[in-house]
Amino acid sequence: MSTTKRLWFALGTLLAVTFAALLWVGGGIYQQAPPLPERVVVAGGQTLYTRADIERGRQVWQSMGGHQVGSVWGHGALVAPDWTADWIHRESQALLDAWAQRDGGRRYAELDEAAQAALAVRLRKEVRTNTYDAASNTIQVSADRAAAMEAVAGHYVSLFGDDPATAGLRATYALRDNTVDTAEHRRAMSGFFFWTAWAATAQRPGAAASYTSNWPYDPLVGNAPTSDAFLWSVFSVLFMIAGIGLLAWHYAVWHGKEKPLTPPAVDPMSLLTITPSMRATAKYFWVVIALFLSQILLGALTAHYQVERDFYGMELSSILPYSLTRSWHTELAVLWIATAWLGTGLYIAPAVSGHEPRFQRLGVNLLWVCLLIIVVGAFAGQWFAVMQKLGLEHNFWFGHQGWEFVDLGRFWQIFLFIGLVLWLVLMGRALWPALRRRDDLASIVALLFLSTVCIAAFYAAGLMWGEHSHLSIVEYWRWWVVHLWVEGFFEVFAVAVVSFLFVKLGLVRARTATVNVLFATIVFMAGGVLGTFHHLYFAGTTTAVIALGASFSALEVVPLALIGLEAHETWSHGRATPWMQRYRWPILFFLAVSFWNLVGAGLFGFLINTPLALYYMQGLNLTPLHGHTALFGVYGMLGLGLMLVCLRGLRADRPWAEGWLRGAFWSMNIGLSLMALLTLLPLGVLQLSAVLDHGYWQARSAEFMNQPIVHLLVWMRVPGDTLFAVGALLFAGFVARLWLGRRGTAPDLAVLPEAGS
Amino acid sequence: MVEFYLQIKFVHIAAVIASGSLFALRGLLMLADSRWSRHALLRYTSYAIDTTLLTAALMLTTIIHQYPGAQSWLTVKVLCLVVYIVLGTFALKRGRTRGIRLACFIAAIAVYLFIVSVARAHHPLGWFASL
Repeated sequence: MSTTKRLWFALGTLLAVTFAALLWVGGGIYQQAPPLPERVVVAGGQTLYTRADIERGRQVWQSMGGHQVGSVWGHGALVAPDWTADWIHRESQALLDAWAQRDGGRRYAELDEAAQAALAVRLRKEVRTNTYDAASNTIQVSADRAAAMEAVAGHYVSLFGDDPATAGLRATYALRDNTVDTAEHRRAMSGFFFWTAWAATAQRPGAAASYTSNWPYDPLVGNAPTSDAFLWSVFSVLFMIAGIGLLAWHYAVWHGKEKPLTPPAVDPMSLLTITPSMRATAKYFWVVIALFLSQILLGALTAHYQVERDFYGMELSSILPYSLTRSWHTELAVLWIATAWLGTGLYIAPAVSGHEPRFQRLGVNLLWVCLLIIVVGAFAGQWFAVMQKLGLEHNFWFGHQGWEFVDLGRFWQIFLFIGLVLWLVLMGRALWPALRRRDDLASIVALLFLSTVCIAAFYAAGLMWGEHSHLSIVEYWRWWVVHLWVEGFFEVFAVAVVSFLFVKLGLVRARTATVNVLFATIVFMAGGVLGTFHHLYFAGTTTAVIALGASFSALEVVPLALIGLEAHETWSHGRATPWMQRYRWPILFFLAVSFWNLVGAGLFGFLINTPLALYYMQGLNLTPLHGHTALFGVYGMLGLGLMLVCLRGLRADRPWAEGWLRGAFWSMNIGLSLMALLTLLPLGVLQLSAVLDHGYWQARSAEFMNQPIVHLLVWMRVPGDTLFAVGALLFAGFVARLWLGRRGTAPDLAVLPEAGS
Repeated sequence: MVEFYLQIKFVHIAAVIASGSLFALRGLLMLADSRWSRHALLRYTSYAIDTTLLTAALMLTTIIHQYPGAQSWLTVKVLCLVVYIVLGTFALKRGRTRGIRLACFIAAIAVYLFIVSVARAHHPLGWFASL
């Protein structure tokens, strides 16, 4: 069996085994998710919430933006509190104060240490005892707890309305007045918050921890890390070190043993015939620029809402509240990067096969129109939802689903899925002749095609939940999309495309590239598939999720430890021949990808990766630290680099404004670094310190967020963000000049001097 | 944030002085035909100072709740800032003749001083308010 066949066999086996485990453990989540009761009743028999209330409450929460306003079980936005932790804290305080008043006529805070300790023990017993009765499908609470719950529910009814008593909190949380339209809906939403808090404190039957493995950290109610979290954190680090050792050994034995290839005299890519469908992809890249700039603007607004509800005197928050700016900011990140990659795929495919299928250009144009309709339609629906003008009946299908990164209404999700299938068809018919050739390139082309199949097919995971699916189950499938789809199959696609480019440029042998791509895919899919679980440690899941998630996601760091080798190889390609000067900027963007892969994905990702670390850090500013540096740093930079390769072919006759690109490249990289180092990292560490000292709720509270030092750190984003935005504008200016600038004389760098003379 | 008002104002004023001084220096270097006027070090220092200046300015507006567009003295400051930037660009880079560059340089300095006077007076007419 040849090396290539062995690698294909290994990849197939790996994917079969890891997906079987992913599905098997997923099945466990279905069976062991925290129960959603028919009724929550007081000991005397009065019903506090019905299942319908809780489900409707979740719909209300989704309609106002869900994950985009505060968070639940640690998943979501950062300015408003985590509603689970907030409920637990408020209910505990209300209970303790009520007991202290009854016992001695004083508030809990005024009691001596012994009395406080006695009441704390009583509180733990009260909230940790699981009073769910499976036979009657009810949760029973004491009269004292019911009174405390009523007080907390009243707080939320006030907060999400326009009560002047909570106006200050709304300003701090960046909530507009009447965030939720009716008092009835606000009350139902409090039922949903209660249920998430109940599941986070009530002991799972037969276990020593709550349904959320004791998340959030709150010593007052006895929520502390489980022994499993500690054990698997330690083991995961060991696995990672072992993985790095093995990979280093593999590199030492196999890497760099081949003689370097002599590059051709002429840039082979410059000889490509640009077909009509390839030319039609230009508009994808214009849209990428438009979406990228919009995303930055919305990001600036979102960050600003952290220090001021209005925007420099403009009452923007009443028509464009935080919930929307953040929704669109996060969705646009995925959308523009995906558009850049889809466009690259459509540009590359006919170049791979040398075949322009009939009506290919029509398909490319049709897909582009579909993407525009999806963006505009989905965003319009979200605006109506968040402004509470759509009604709950239509929210799921056309409004705001409230699940971060997959917030589009179901109708738009299906439309996007159809669009991706159309992309797959367009890619498939263009690649088909190359797939049938069975030459040296066949395996890379097959992998490229396989990744397009997976990109189209796996988005369907986002359709696996329904309007009323259990929260844990939605989270399970949501991370199939966000982790597996974005971090997994897009990654395969990216590696295959970049390798293909180097082969096409004549810098790497097809066989070498094939082996490298297959091996790289095996290495990162080994950690990547089951690494999905590292997002789900505390989402009402089982210990198996913590064990597998921790162990395999630590393996995701393994290839990053040796990324310097890859970066050096890329850099060497850039210097292989004088005509590679044509690709100086794509190469630099690819090098930036390696750098941010190590820093953003590797360091900042692993910072929050182990169960023990994430237990304290989930939903703090350390999450966007990883998010920004990994999503833009790796995928964004890659999207821009790939786009530059395509533009080199699309506008071959235009001179490149090197100065604009240089400014764009360094501004974006330095800007991103400043954003991370001046704000997100210090603010995250400050929050972490608050979590460790007081409990998770404190780091997300208004009291914490209103500290002058927090505002100061948020303001420190301005220098980095400004620089970043200038970089993006320079990049946009560079692209605009390729079409709008004078035709000029492009220096003919495509050939070696002697070959050209 | 009001706790840091004085410190932020200090940073703002210091950045204004640094920014103006650096521009004056680069202008004089330009008049002396020195290539140092466009030297990367001076350019990047200028970007850094101006970004600090902008950050402090934005912070101050939200602390005192006065904004360009709403308060005329701030509106005038922003408009004059645009004029100052355009004049500065022509003075250091885009002016085709030495005469144009010199005229733009003098005009830019005048606009800069006027902005300072508007800031000190909190009045859109600056120095001319007392006339």
